Amino acid sequence: MSAAPYGFHGRILAIDLSRGDVRTKPLDASLVADYLGGRGLATRLFYDAVDPQCDPLGPDNGFVIATSPLLGTNAPTACRGHMVFKSPLTDVIGTSNSGGTWASAFKSTGYDAIIVKGRASGPVFIDITPERTEVFPADKLWGLDVHQTTDALSAESEPGLRPRVLCIGPAGENLVRIAAVVNDKNRPYGRCGPGAVWGSKKLKAIRVRGKAKIQVQDKERYQSGYDQALYLMKQAPVTKRLFRELGTSGLVELINVINMLPHRNFLDSFHDEEDLEKVSGETLAKTLLERAGGCFLCPIGCQRHTRVESKTGDYEKGEGPEYETVVMMGALCSVYDLPAITRANYRCNELGMDTMSFGGTTACAMELFESGYIRPEDAGGLDLRFGSADALEILARLTAYRQGLGDKLAEGSFRLAGYFKHAELSMSVKKLEIPGYDPRASFTQALGYMTSPSGACHLRGGYAVSLAFFGGTKEIPRFSLLQSPIAIRNMQNTGILQDSLGICRFTGFAFSTDPWARMVSGITGMDFSVAKLEEIANRIATLERMFNDEAGLRMEDDALPERFSRVPIVVAGAEKVVSRDAQERMRADYYKVRGWDETGRPSEAARKILHIKGRNS
Amino acid sequence: MSAKVKFFAYFRELFAAKEKVVALQAGTMVRDVLAGLCDSAARRSEIFDGDRLKPHIVVMINGAGIQSFQGLETPLKDGDVLSVFPLMGGG
Repeated sequence: MSAAPYGFHGRILAIDLSRGDVRTKPLDASLVADYLGGRGLATRLFYDAVDPQCDPLGPDNGFVIATSPLLGTNAPTACRGHMVFKSPLTDVIGTSNSGGTWASAFKSTGYDAIIVKGRASGPVFIDITPERTEVFPADKLWGLDVHQTTDALSAESEPGLRPRVLCIGPAGENLVRIAAVVNDKNRPYGRCGPGAVWGSKKLKAIRVRGKAKIQVQDKERYQSGYDQALYLMKQAPVTKRLFRELGTSGLVELINVINMLPHRNFLDSFHDEEDLEKVSGETLAKTLLERAGGCFLCPIGCQRHTRVESKTGDYEKGEGPEYETVVMMGALCSVYDLPAITRANYRCNELGMDTMSFGGTTACAMELFESGYIRPEDAGGLDLRFGSADALEILARLTAYRQGLGDKLAEGSFRLAGYFKHAELSMSVKKLEIPGYDPRASFTQALGYMTSPSGACHLRGGYAVSLAFFGGTKEIPRFSLLQSPIAIRNMQNTGILQDSLGICRFTGFAFSTDPWARMVSGITGMDFSVAKLEEIANRIATLERMFNDEAGLRMEDDALPERFSRVPIVVAGAEKVVSRDAQERMRADYYKVRGWDETGRPSEAARKILHIKGRNS
Repeated sequence: MSAKVKFFAYFRELFAAKEKVVALQAGTMVRDVLAGLCDSAARRSEIFDGDRLKPHIVVMINGAGIQSFQGLETPLKDGDVLSVFPLMGGG
């Protein structure tokens, strides 16, 4: 075993809640060389620790949160943690990323990653400091929402050292399959239902505080990458000012320009422009925005700190909405009421629930309702037609507490639609709700949703949207069957590296991998060239696939719902679908590009080329 | 003959409009329309870098990037809708 590299503390915290057992394990430098940190490191530790066949809500499931070598430096946006678990929503690997302050604070406790398994006999929270880690009863916290829990655990232990809290709300406690784990009150690890995994373990929160520092091996090399990154972020309008001025929902009208903005549970993509303007980033900035904000060390500042009138006429404050929330709770539900979307966003944050899957599941419920499959008596008198803005906030509460129809929404759209005997109305891949970019408007994005390890996710599946803006050229495909597999592999790999470096996706709009390669090489003293990082991304993608393969995933699961091959939308004047044939061709080529066999299984040869070792239990 | 030009994000402020209607002659190209709109140094410097578009500037005709056609040299037709905005992403 070799010593831990620079940039890390060399310690992993392993907790078994069934036994109340807390241990510290060394972090092997070879793991960093092969998997870098963040998503890569978490995936490897998770693969070694958890049986792919386990019940996602049983004690044998576990979760890993890992940090990267950049956390603890001043690298721009380097504050993000990555959580890996088996998802109770998708039954395959759950992989979710968050900014905020918690991950950096966790690293300041002197640990690089945490693995939690087992199930406590009653509610608990974990308290981590450099001196000790303890598991405390949390009976008094159980039932509190995310904001209340965070406040209850945030009292300063010494001046200037505020604890940071990562916790679940009622949705996680009630094993809602779309429940999130949240830090800084409003920054979620949102997708794939990690909150339900925590709830099943009776784990309410992890509180961290400390001042442990990491060492940088080659400060000059680090600084050269840092300087270049910061310079380029000041050049690109998107990182220099656009996100700060408009937030991510500045994108709403632009995505409509390229006919990619979904409507009515993906039945069409037509929006009245006046309606869209009501939910645009500009309108949000003019009406609800109090100030922009940023995660720790972020110069971009996309956060929306907002204020909205409540139903009782009072004003309440919170965070959001972002692009995905505006689209999933808004456009997808034919709701163009920004205050209503914002209030429902606040409720999701407090209750600890993914706004994206909640919006997608609500849109599914609305189509089931309009089709007569959910009857008015099933809905408890709620008007669930498309456009019912008032339903959002009510449904969020019902879902988090599993009351009435909310008990079915709590299962996500796939199980909801299946319960009402129309599973085909769930717009999901691998049971994860499709984000707010219509895959019929970009074959590359379609293939990304199909092959994302965690189901339909624009972040894990590859973000092909900026390609669409420049699209249709010979160089960059939007509707190219031939080029989409390579293009999306490249986009996915970029995302894997960003997740493994603990940095924000949005830096990718200003510059690519090279400055990060210099920074991470300077920190660790290990030679992470761009080519080496690319190899690491390929290794991580294949390891995720190995877990999914062992969990029972099959080639047929890498497909879009039937609607996308049968019902066209109009893109730049032409009707577009993603036919079955097109899906199968792109999928087959994607498997080849990844070095997997024709059924999508990572071959022995691919594992050898990528030096992926077998499970190390 | 005319075309509509739609502005997004801070270009609305820069061009003091959400959209403008511009008259077209036979053979009017995207470059001509944009050059006509950039009637001040401030406007020109946000859109053009010499005779090329600045990086990060997106120009679309009826929802498709001008790169799909002949770039700035693409001739416009009556009723075309041009969208002009800084490259943005999100999620």
